Amino acid sequence: MKSRLIVIAAAVCLFLTISISPSGLSAGFLEEFDFHSSAYEPFEIYNEDNELLSVMARVVQVGDELIAFDDKHYRIDRVEGRKAFAVYVGKHDIEPMKLPMVSSLPAQREGAGNNVIAIYHTHSDESYVPSDGTESIPGSGGIFDVGEVFTQALEEQGFTVIHDLRAHEPRDAQAYNRSRRTAVELLKQGPSVLIDVHRDGIPDPEFYREKISGMHATQIRLVVGRQNQNMESNLDFAKHIKAAGNEIHPGIVREIFMAQGNYNQDLTPRAILIEVGTYTNTKEEAKAGAKLFAEIMPAVMGVTPGVPGPPDQGSDWRTVFWILVLTVIGVGGFLVISTGSWEGAVNKAKQFVTKEWANYIGFKKKSRKGNNNKEE
Amino acid sequence: MERFPIGMILLMIVAVLIYFGLAQRILDRMRLTDKAALVIVAAIFLGSFINIPIPFANIEGSINVGGAIVPIGVAVYVLSRAGTSKEVVRTLFAIAATAGTVYLFNSFVLAADPWQTGRDIIDPLYIYPIVAGTIAYIVGRSRRGAFIAATLGVLILDIVNFSVLLATGIRGTVAVGGGGAFDVIVLSGLFAVLLAEVVGETLERIQGGPRTEGRSRELIKGLQDIESPTPARKPTENNDVIEDKNDNEPLEMEGEEKHEK
Repeated sequence: MKSRLIVIAAAVCLFLTISISPSGLSAGFLEEFDFHSSAYEPFEIYNEDNELLSVMARVVQVGDELIAFDDKHYRIDRVEGRKAFAVYVGKHDIEPMKLPMVSSLPAQREGAGNNVIAIYHTHSDESYVPSDGTESIPGSGGIFDVGEVFTQALEEQGFTVIHDLRAHEPRDAQAYNRSRRTAVELLKQGPSVLIDVHRDGIPDPEFYREKISGMHATQIRLVVGRQNQNMESNLDFAKHIKAAGNEIHPGIVREIFMAQGNYNQDLTPRAILIEVGTYTNTKEEAKAGAKLFAEIMPAVMGVTPGVPGPPDQGSDWRTVFWILVLTVIGVGGFLVISTGSWEGAVNKAKQFVTKEWANYIGFKKKSRKGNNNKEE
Repeated sequence: MERFPIGMILLMIVAVLIYFGLAQRILDRMRLTDKAALVIVAAIFLGSFINIPIPFANIEGSINVGGAIVPIGVAVYVLSRAGTSKEVVRTLFAIAATAGTVYLFNSFVLAADPWQTGRDIIDPLYIYPIVAGTIAYIVGRSRRGAFIAATLGVLILDIVNFSVLLATGIRGTVAVGGGGAFDVIVLSGLFAVLLAEVVGETLERIQGGPRTEGRSRELIKGLQDIESPTPARKPTENNDVIEDKNDNEPLEMEGEEKHEK
């Protein structure tokens, strides 16, 4: 008991020392934990023929998946140092969409106004070195400018757009917990889609640099988090975005990466994280990429005349099914553990639907049969 | 709104219903009545829509009713019902230990940028409830202690963040509980109780039933009923709940594991 108290007291003292010391909180703190993309050597992903598929600033782990630029679907099989090796698992299964020819002039799309798109920036410091002079401006990164161009371009397409300008500093492991609050706030306004706009951290600007539909722009990577219940639905949504991109502005969507993490995508089945170029691209290239990306959204959302409905619902139904199955397994497992037997678990479950709810409506269930309680 | 596919709407409804259903059952484990647990869940849900803005200098501050005020209120209320000052002190230690551990974990263990430096296994969103829940349970030693420590321990992270922003002058947001029912504060509190429940039940099962040595006669009588097909805490004929017999006792008794049945 005494030793436990000493350990606790030591932890409290350490915590208080760090947290209330102004020097511990200020510049030194941020410098130590500030993220410098260039400090990390990126991961390279190769296929079975040792061809380079992609380059990632984020950590690539076994089980991550990639739908590459050519729509081929790979799964990371092994990781050696900073090299990841992927096995081909097939071409992704989105049917080519019947998209209309896209006018070079922005057009007001029928029904687009009913769709609200919400945009926010978890990493509000992200900036573009050639344009902003640095890769990180805490609280007001260049990424906000890219988000603004994206917003305007979406509005030109007829969408209602909420562009949230809140900052989520400092950049640490809590950033997504902070931006989660922004995301929830945005969801209260009923958006159809929630987009977290980032820029990547790989050093090579050429990786994203491309001439797309006649414009010098950056390509965009879509990131789908694997650690949430909506993964399948969000992946389906990402595939639709890529399919629309392939049709309207070929090359605009470079790839889809299914990464470890949540990225607040548990909050809605229509959430996506986009990386608009990398920190070594110019902001102008990134803005051009964002503008082109905005032009494919009407087709993605199913608001372009002649394009049937929003994305396929099959994945949503499958997700519902799996959530229900996992809930039954989880609750059942707990009941078996807590009662010690299958029979006990069944009894407890029965009790849940009979007696447990009796006092909710303010009356006690009177037993009509004398042995009612014995049975339960 | 007509643009939302039925499957997507159903998916969201199912997820939310299951989450709130689970939350109600978890709160119910803290010796709250079914009705009280339901009212709290409803308050968290409805309160999620109410944000109280508290702008301060360079910080866009706010506090959410459902994500912060209700769970904090429940924690403070439960703490106030602790029978002795010793229990209060122990729970306060649990809060400090949780806050300290989560803070140190955040600063030194987790990657400065999640998924960018290779130390992450689980998303930070889930790390906080797991770490807070574990520490809160180990130190708090009860479901209620775990809830209080996890809720208030994670809240302290926001206070630290507020201090960081204030000290540096960097533009930032401190939306305490802004995630509403899905905020890390609520998730941590619920997970802590769930952990206490699952770990406690499993440990008791492994050791062949609850420990009886050195326990009060009344409690042992209640504990012995756990092996019966109808566990002791279930309502009896006169709707009495055996577990509630301990309601007026201190938050936890000396040397006692907190899985009273």
